[in-house]
Amino acid sequence: MRAIDYAFRQGWASLRRGGGSTLFAVVAIALAMSVLGGLLLVTWNVERLLARWTTSAEFSVYLRDDATSEQRGVIEAFVDQSGAAAGREYVSKEQALVRFRTEFAELASTAAGIGDNPFPASIEVRMQSTAEKDGRADALLKKVATLPGVADIRYDRAWLAKVGAGLDALRRAGGVLALMMALAAAVTVAAVVRLGLHARREEIEIMQLVGASLAFIRGPFVAEGLLQGGIGAAGAVLLLWGGFAVASASWGPQLASALEGVDPQFLPARFCALLVAGGMLVGGAGGFAASRHAV
Amino acid sequence: MITTHRLSKLYGRGLYALRDLTITVGKGEFVFLTGPSGAGKSTLLRLLLMKERPNEGEIIVNGHNLANLSRAEIQEYRRGIGFVFQDFKLIQRRTVLENICFVSEVIGVSPAQQRRRAFQVLKWVGLQHRMNAYPQELSGGEQQRISIARALMNDPALLLADEPTGNLDPDLSLEIMNLFREINAGGTTVLIATHDRELIRLVGRRSITLDQGRIVEVAEGMRA
Repeated sequence: MRAIDYAFRQGWASLRRGGGSTLFAVVAIALAMSVLGGLLLVTWNVERLLARWTTSAEFSVYLRDDATSEQRGVIEAFVDQSGAAAGREYVSKEQALVRFRTEFAELASTAAGIGDNPFPASIEVRMQSTAEKDGRADALLKKVATLPGVADIRYDRAWLAKVGAGLDALRRAGGVLALMMALAAAVTVAAVVRLGLHARREEIEIMQLVGASLAFIRGPFVAEGLLQGGIGAAGAVLLLWGGFAVASASWGPQLASALEGVDPQFLPARFCALLVAGGMLVGGAGGFAASRHAV
Repeated sequence: MITTHRLSKLYGRGLYALRDLTITVGKGEFVFLTGPSGAGKSTLLRLLLMKERPNEGEIIVNGHNLANLSRAEIQEYRRGIGFVFQDFKLIQRRTVLENICFVSEVIGVSPAQQRRRAFQVLKWVGLQHRMNAYPQELSGGEQQRISIARALMNDPALLLADEPTGNLDPDLSLEIMNLFREINAGGTTVLIATHDRELIRLVGRRSITLDQGRIVEVAEGMRA
């Protein structure tokens, strides 16, 4: 306990003495953590949108024009009993035409020229949020496709999967970039801590001669790195929060519109705490590397 | 207290700092190591502090063969040794009190105990009124007395001093030697490396003269 207390007191004192070099290390960590935090902020908000899309995912069962009401009844009963559907709605051919005219008003004149109604009747099924993950949605789709009276089935999960894959790629690329920046920050911290180590060379020699343990000798350098990392990461969180607040105030409605009504939110406290912990880990690693030159 | 047996320390190709050195320093004894520059005095002290390892021979201190000590045992061994250097080795950005408490703090002594002991040793060297001063505000003699106070902080059984009066005038040197005599009178073994033969004569204790790493003379002192 005394070694930890001593390490953080000395680490803090060294941090304050460091001046410009300390600031340099803190900024390096803040930059690395800003990249990681910015990536988290974007992916977290997009994930919220994806989650909403996933829960509201629907599939449409298009009926043949000659499908009988008995066949439709069989399909509906099957959907209800599957346990995968959260709800369903029957859309007749007439309703489909009205919907087309409403949603694509500029094409209404085109539709007016068509003699017979080309739109098929359909059953729109809203899936339960868990049905996709546990495979029930897939099983239901396969089975419904084989039922009499069914012309086609369309399920919007394919593009959801594409968006999810894109998000994963973005996360991986950003992760690699953040990792490289974190490594650079750790090297910077190590260099700055080593400067402090040279300034304290005589103090370290006395510590060794009086029989101080490694925890006392190396501890202050690790603590200095941890503090640099923590301050840098906390600065990054503040920077991101400031940027987010400005962006929300300036382009809030546009952002909400881009996210289809999902209000953009700043990172939750647990993510902020993780960022600060990550910064401390990077700084601590740099400090530990530098401390190995102490003895 | 200290026994070396056929101790040799080699620097570079064939350059012996110590050669086949066999000496004994008894518990509670006060001994001078003397000789010209390069005789091996400081090398022997560095070996005793375990800052360096010998190439040959062995060193037994207080019954412990230094060659067999683990890292933890070396730390424990060093806690029983006080050291004083010619250049004082005080930390310039710490006050006198902080410099003295520092050596106890880094071995885990509680703050209350550190301060209690620091006041004792400062009073003993007569510098309790300077405890808030910084080293650069002190004279050379005062700095060396602080250095001695620091060496006494952990109540060592053995005190090693390398040219402790090298930077001081003759009056101050004798004053510092009187402090060492008082420390020795309390039961601490004292081993001092110095080239100042006049001082050795004034203090009047046993002296071992080295030259080119070998013992050339052992003189029993006439106690002053």
